[in-house]
Amino acid sequence: MPRITSVESPGCPPLRAITTDILGLIKVVEARARPAGVAKVVETWGEPDASRAILVASLADRAVDPVLAVARKNGVVELLNPLNGDALAVVKSSRTDQTVGAVENDPLVALHLFRKHAPDLTTLGTFLACTEKGKASVRSVAKENTVSDSDVGPSSTWEVCNKGTLQFSSVDVGENYAMFGGNGMEVNLWDITSCSKMWSAKSPRANNVGIFTKPWFTAGTFLCKDDHRKIVACTNNHQVRLYDTASQRRPVVSVDFRESPIKAVVGDPDGHTVYIGTGTGDLASFDMRTGKLLGCYVGKCSGSIRSIVRHPDLPLIASCGLDSYLRIWDTNTRQPLSAVYLKQHLTTVVIDSHFSAEESEETKSKQPDSSMVAEAAVRREKKKKKNVLVEEAEEGTQMVDPDDCDAEAVRKDKKKKKKKKKKKKKTVIEDDEETQMVDLDEDDAETVRKAKKKKKNRRVAEDEEGTQMAGLNDSDAEIYAPKRIKSESGERSKGTKKKSKKQQVA
Amino acid sequence: MAREDRKRRQPDGDEAADEGERRGRRDKRPKEEKPAPPLPSEIRNKEKRSEVYAKLKREKKAQKRRLGRERGQAAQRAAELGEEVPEKQVPRTIENTREPDETVCRPDDQELFAGNDADEFNAVLKQVVTPKVLITTCRFNSGRGPAFIKELMQVIPNAQYVNRGTYDLKKIVEYANNREFTSVMVVHTNRREPDALLIINLPEGPTAHFKLSKLVLRKDIKNHGNPTSHKPELVLNNFTTRLGHRVGRMIQSLFPQDPNFRGRRVVTFHNQRDYIFFRHHRYIFEEKEKKIVSKDKKSKGETKTEKQINCRLQECGPRFTLKLLTLQHGTFDTKSGEYEWVHKPDLDTSRRRFFL
Repeated sequence: MPRITSVESPGCPPLRAITTDILGLIKVVEARARPAGVAKVVETWGEPDASRAILVASLADRAVDPVLAVARKNGVVELLNPLNGDALAVVKSSRTDQTVGAVENDPLVALHLFRKHAPDLTTLGTFLACTEKGKASVRSVAKENTVSDSDVGPSSTWEVCNKGTLQFSSVDVGENYAMFGGNGMEVNLWDITSCSKMWSAKSPRANNVGIFTKPWFTAGTFLCKDDHRKIVACTNNHQVRLYDTASQRRPVVSVDFRESPIKAVVGDPDGHTVYIGTGTGDLASFDMRTGKLLGCYVGKCSGSIRSIVRHPDLPLIASCGLDSYLRIWDTNTRQPLSAVYLKQHLTTVVIDSHFSAEESEETKSKQPDSSMVAEAAVRREKKKKKNVLVEEAEEGTQMVDPDDCDAEAVRKDKKKKKKKKKKKKKTVIEDDEETQMVDLDEDDAETVRKAKKKKKNRRVAEDEEGTQMAGLNDSDAEIYAPKRIKSESGERSKGTKKKSKKQQVA
Repeated sequence: MAREDRKRRQPDGDEAADEGERRGRRDKRPKEEKPAPPLPSEIRNKEKRSEVYAKLKREKKAQKRRLGRERGQAAQRAAELGEEVPEKQVPRTIENTREPDETVCRPDDQELFAGNDADEFNAVLKQVVTPKVLITTCRFNSGRGPAFIKELMQVIPNAQYVNRGTYDLKKIVEYANNREFTSVMVVHTNRREPDALLIINLPEGPTAHFKLSKLVLRKDIKNHGNPTSHKPELVLNNFTTRLGHRVGRMIQSLFPQDPNFRGRRVVTFHNQRDYIFFRHHRYIFEEKEKKIVSKDKKSKGETKTEKQINCRLQECGPRFTLKLLTLQHGTFDTKSGEYEWVHKPDLDTSRRRFFL
C-alpha cells in the first residue's frame, strides 16, 4: 500500500532564484507577492547549445551592482548582469591552455565570484576558478577590453593537488580562505591571499578489519560565518564529517547518512546546521555540533541533487538537480513551498536575496535608478538591524495564517515544555562528545589537555553567544535547542514587521 | 441502510410503481411501514443470501443491457431523423483520468528538441553510428535465462552474447566500450527465472534498471511464428513525459533505425500505466477472393468474387513486461552513481499518477 502524502503548500515568499542547466540556458524564477506563493519562470537567457553547457555558477550577491559568473563547458567564464542577463565580459578560463583538448580534458569544476571586490572603474570582478586536475586561479576581469582575456590586479595560479580529481571548492564568508577536496585527495584549506596551504586532513583510522577507505570528497562548506576553522566535508561513501582545523587533522564528528553519495552541502547562517543533498534525491539537515539528524525534506524529489542554496535572510533553501525541478523548502517546518519544472538537468541554483517588489520593477525598467539603489541600501541596513532580533520569528509567522495563530501558539507552548527536557539531554550528549574527543586522541596526554581546553573555550564562547542571543531575544535558557518560533516573540515581531513595511511604503 | 436500498431501486419500472403505492399508503398511516427487503449482506442464511444476491445481480445486468439498448435505439432514431446523434459515452479509465503532469512533452517545445539533439542517443538515432548490443547475464544463469537470451538475440539485430564469467559489471562495461558497443544489456535471473533487465547506454550512460515479469517464451505461445533475420520495425507507444521520452529513446537506440519493411517484423514497446509491454509480431497482408452470393432471385446461383485485402498478425515471442525502477546518470555505478529518477514510495501519491 503506497504511503499517501498530501502536502499543502503554503506558497513561498517573494524570491528570485537563478538556475543554470546543461543546455547552457540561464533561467530566472521569481515568486512575487501579488499572486502569492506561485514561483514561475520569468526569463530565459541564452540559446540551447550543449557544447556551452554551464558547469557551475556563482553570484556576487550585492544590493548594488550584482554580478553573476558562469563557467561553461567550452572553458569560458562569462560575467553577466543578473538583473537583465546582459553579458559583461567573457574570459577564457586559463591563458596557458590554448588548445581545445586541454579544455575538454580539464573542465572547470568550481567557481567563486568574490563579493568583497566590488566593481570599480577598472575591474568588473574577481573570481576563483579551479579545474578538475587541481589548477586553481584567482583572476580579475578588466572592464575595458572585455573580449580579450587580459587580467588586471591580483592574479595568481597554484596547484591544489597533483593526484586525484578535484570535485569541489568552497570559499569562506570572509573570502580569505578556500577549501578543496575531491576523489583521491584529502580536504585542503588554502589561504587565498598568500596562495599557501594552511591545513590538510588526515584520513580516518582503519576500521576494525584494518581496511582504509580511499578519500573521496564530494562536497564541502565552511560551517560558521565568522570562523574559517570549522569545515564540513561530505564523502562519497555517504559520510558527513566536521573538521576543526585548529585542533586536529582527523574529523571531530562523522555521521553516516543513508546509502547514496552526498552531492551537495550548504551551511546555515546560524552556524551549526548544514543541509545535505544526496545522489538519490534525499535532502536532510544535520546539527553539526552533535552530529544529529534534524530531519529529512520529504516531497517527491526523485533525482540527484546537484546544488542547494540557503537564502541569507528568509528561512528557506532552494535545491535543484537531475530531476529538473527547482524546489523551495521552508527550513523551519521542512515543508516544500514550491516546485518549478525547468525541463533540463539543472547544475546550479543561486538566490538573489535583494529582490523585492520594488526591485522587480527595477528589473522591468532595466535602468538602475540611483535613488532606488540608495533606498535599497538603507533598507538593507534596517533589515540587518532587525534581522538579528527577529529573523527567524518573523519569517515563521509569515507562513502561519492569522486564523491558525492561536492554535499554533498553544502547540508551541507545549513544544517549549518538551524542549526544556530536551535541553537537559543535550548537555549530556555534549559531555559524551567531549569524552569521545578524548578517546580519539588518547595517544598523548598533551593533546588531550589541549583538546579539553579547546572544548572548554568553545563552550564558553558558545555560552557567551547564547547569553547575547538571550539578551536580544528575551528568551529563557533554551538556546542550545534548535530554535523554533515562539509565540510571544512571533507576535512582537509581527508588529515590528508591520512597522518596517510602513517605512518601506513611506 | 434499508431506506438507501429503496432509493437505489427506485428507477426500476415495476418497483417504482410499487413504491408509489407504498408511499401513498405511508402518507395516510406513516406508522405502519412495511419493512423493506433486507440487503443480501444482512441475510444470515448463506443459501438464501446467495440466491438474493444472484437475483439482484441479474436485475442489475438486465437493467444495464436495457439502458444500453435504449441508448442505441435513440441514436439510431436520431440518425434516421437527421438530428444530431447524441455523443457516445466514453468509459472513465485510470489512463484517461490521469493526473495532469507538467512534465508531459508538448510537440511545440523547442527546448525538448534541443535537448534531444544534445542527448546521448542522438548519434545512434541520427544513423551516424550503427547500434551494436552486448548481451550478458548475471553471475549464475540457468533455468529460462539462456532460452530468453537466445530469443532476445533474435529480436535485436547486431547483438552479441558474452559469457559473464566472474567479471565485474564495470569491467564488462569497459570491455564493451573498448569494442565500440553502443549498449549493454544484462539479464538478471533469480531462482532460475529472469526477473530484471539492465540496459546501459555506452559510452556515457544513462543506465536503466527494469523489473522484468510475465515472461512467456516462444515455445509457450500458441501458433507462434518464427522471426526472420530482417531488421524489425519498432513501435513505441505512450511514452509521454520527459522521463518516458528518455526511456523511449533509450529503447529506440537498441535497434537499427532503417527497418527492412520486406521482413514484415514488428517489435512493440507499449507503455500503459508505467508498465512497458513487449511484443514481437510478424504481419502479412493477404489478398483474398471473397465470394459474394447475390440475393436477387433472377440471378440465382450466380456468384461474384471480390478482392479484399486482409491483414493477419502472428506473434513470434517472447512476451514480457518491464517496469522502470531507476534511471541512473552515467554508466553502471551503484556506489557513487547519481540517479536521474528513482522510484520512491513517497512518489506514489495517487494511482492516477504516472511517470512515463
